[in-house]
Amino acid sequence: MAYLKDERPETMMVEGDWQVGAYRWKAPRLLEEFSAGLKEKKIIGSMCMGCGKVITQPRHLCGRCHRRMDERCVLSDWGTITCFVISPKVEKGKYKLFGMDPVDTGTLKLGEILIPVFVRFDGADSNINCLLLNAKPEEVSIGMRVKVVWAKEPKGQMADLEGVEPIREK
Amino acid sequence: MFRNCAIIGCGQTKHTSRRRDVSVAELAQQAVQAALDDAGITMKDVGCVVSGNMQGFGGVAQPEQWLGDWIGCPGKPAIRIATGGTTGGSVGQGACYTVASGMYDVSIGVAWEKHSDSKEAGATTGLMHVGMGNLFHALTYGLSLRNLIATSAVGAAAGVAVYQAMFYMHRSGCKQEHLDMVAAKARRNAAKNQYAHLQWPNCRPEDIAKTETIAWPFRYGHVCPASDGASCIVVAEEKTAKRLCKQPAWFLGLASYSDEENQLQSENFGGVGVIDPSEQMGCRVSAKKAYAMAGITDPQKEIDLAEIYQPFPSQELIFSERLGLFDDGTAWRHMEKGETDINGRLPISVSGGVNATNAIGSSALQRILEAALQIQGKAGEHQVPKKVRKAVAHGWGGVTNYITCTVLGDSPR
Repeated sequence: MAYLKDERPETMMVEGDWQVGAYRWKAPRLLEEFSAGLKEKKIIGSMCMGCGKVITQPRHLCGRCHRRMDERCVLSDWGTITCFVISPKVEKGKYKLFGMDPVDTGTLKLGEILIPVFVRFDGADSNINCLLLNAKPEEVSIGMRVKVVWAKEPKGQMADLEGVEPIREK
Repeated sequence: MFRNCAIIGCGQTKHTSRRRDVSVAELAQQAVQAALDDAGITMKDVGCVVSGNMQGFGGVAQPEQWLGDWIGCPGKPAIRIATGGTTGGSVGQGACYTVASGMYDVSIGVAWEKHSDSKEAGATTGLMHVGMGNLFHALTYGLSLRNLIATSAVGAAAGVAVYQAMFYMHRSGCKQEHLDMVAAKARRNAAKNQYAHLQWPNCRPEDIAKTETIAWPFRYGHVCPASDGASCIVVAEEKTAKRLCKQPAWFLGLASYSDEENQLQSENFGGVGVIDPSEQMGCRVSAKKAYAMAGITDPQKEIDLAEIYQPFPSQELIFSERLGLFDDGTAWRHMEKGETDINGRLPISVSGGVNATNAIGSSALQRILEAALQIQGKAGEHQVPKKVRKAVAHGWGGVTNYITCTVLGDSPR
């Protein structure tokens, strides 16, 4: 038998949709705990009693030891930048989220430069991925000390942790 | 240990961004037919079929049902393996397992991807199933859309890879210009590979440096394409391999290890203990195990060639160190000196690699296939001048935490 396509050149195109949103997932209530902490301006982590690692956001099982992480601790809201990325100036029509342009919806500002960073908060053995605020791209560096920028009125949601900003001497 | 087995036939399709002339079945059959022809056998001689593509991509949940007839599955055990980006690596290893275990004398491993079937760039709907449960979960708790877009707008694997690149660059001293060099090398090499996608003869690092920055340190020219394509290997046990093939590529060692789930966040938006995404413990461990099986004690001296899964240039450097080919943090210095070029001391990804051709499901199988071609001396224009005795093929994927490592050689263990 030879390559069949050679004998069967005709093909048609059919269109269809696949609804990936049509599910109901079960999820633990760990983020509830975490966001409740944010309302009180506290970053909560979970500790593994096997290896002593403190992970935030909290989780049920330690990824390395496979032990329960039932202990909770509150982390410092000071931390260190372990990694950063610099975006080009935000343009219109570059990408879409849920079919909408983030510039049109006002989520991102035209022409702004975003600096997503990894921050290791003091006391934690994991990173949190968030935005570096009130800083210029040229001044950011790995190892830079930062502190949390809290929302003015924390509501107990993930967005209460708006990002981090450099710790500056007054 | 396992029964000796070898790759005796390789087949792949030309990779392009849009293969609108074929269906998934027709695409896969093209690779299967090419591999069977290369091995000089027919489907009647094949005992078992191992197949796979990235789960959910192309909008098909069970593609093996569509294409089973086309690749000759009926009457045979058909196994589908899907391990994300590593799928091809697992398919290749799966085909080896079916023969090495003594269950079958000849098996084929076929992997493919057809990105162009999706209306979105890079079949993002397919990717979404990876993170959708997590994402909606976090949105319930008031995740800021602004933060979400800003931190992950660059997309799933690219998003992870750009942070990974920064970690690597910081600890090794590698600069953005070195990423340009790796990407230019991939495009140049691809120009010599008739099946590759992004071919750019005589591409220079300066050409890559002219492309626009998408998220510093990555430029547009650093990023892999989304390709349509398929690849297939024929695996046979020792006696059959020796009878049918002049120079089989023998499986010497293989391993696959997973690390903590670390697509920046773990399940249900929990944190991960992986501080440095360029650490890649899974790769260290699987390389160690595969080398031990192959009887390799010093990979820096004993490995002649490596095919590395490097959708982004930083990953060629990171993984070549993790595979033990260079000391920690020195890969870019060796690359800079031209040691990893096609005529260098240790050629890496001479096919152009994933950076030039990325039909995701097939990509990691292509690494095994290309390593086999180099051992068999059948790579054609991109055949390396030196004699390849032992080569290592690597795959990266899963939830960016899963690694396959396969060592091939020119003589059985």
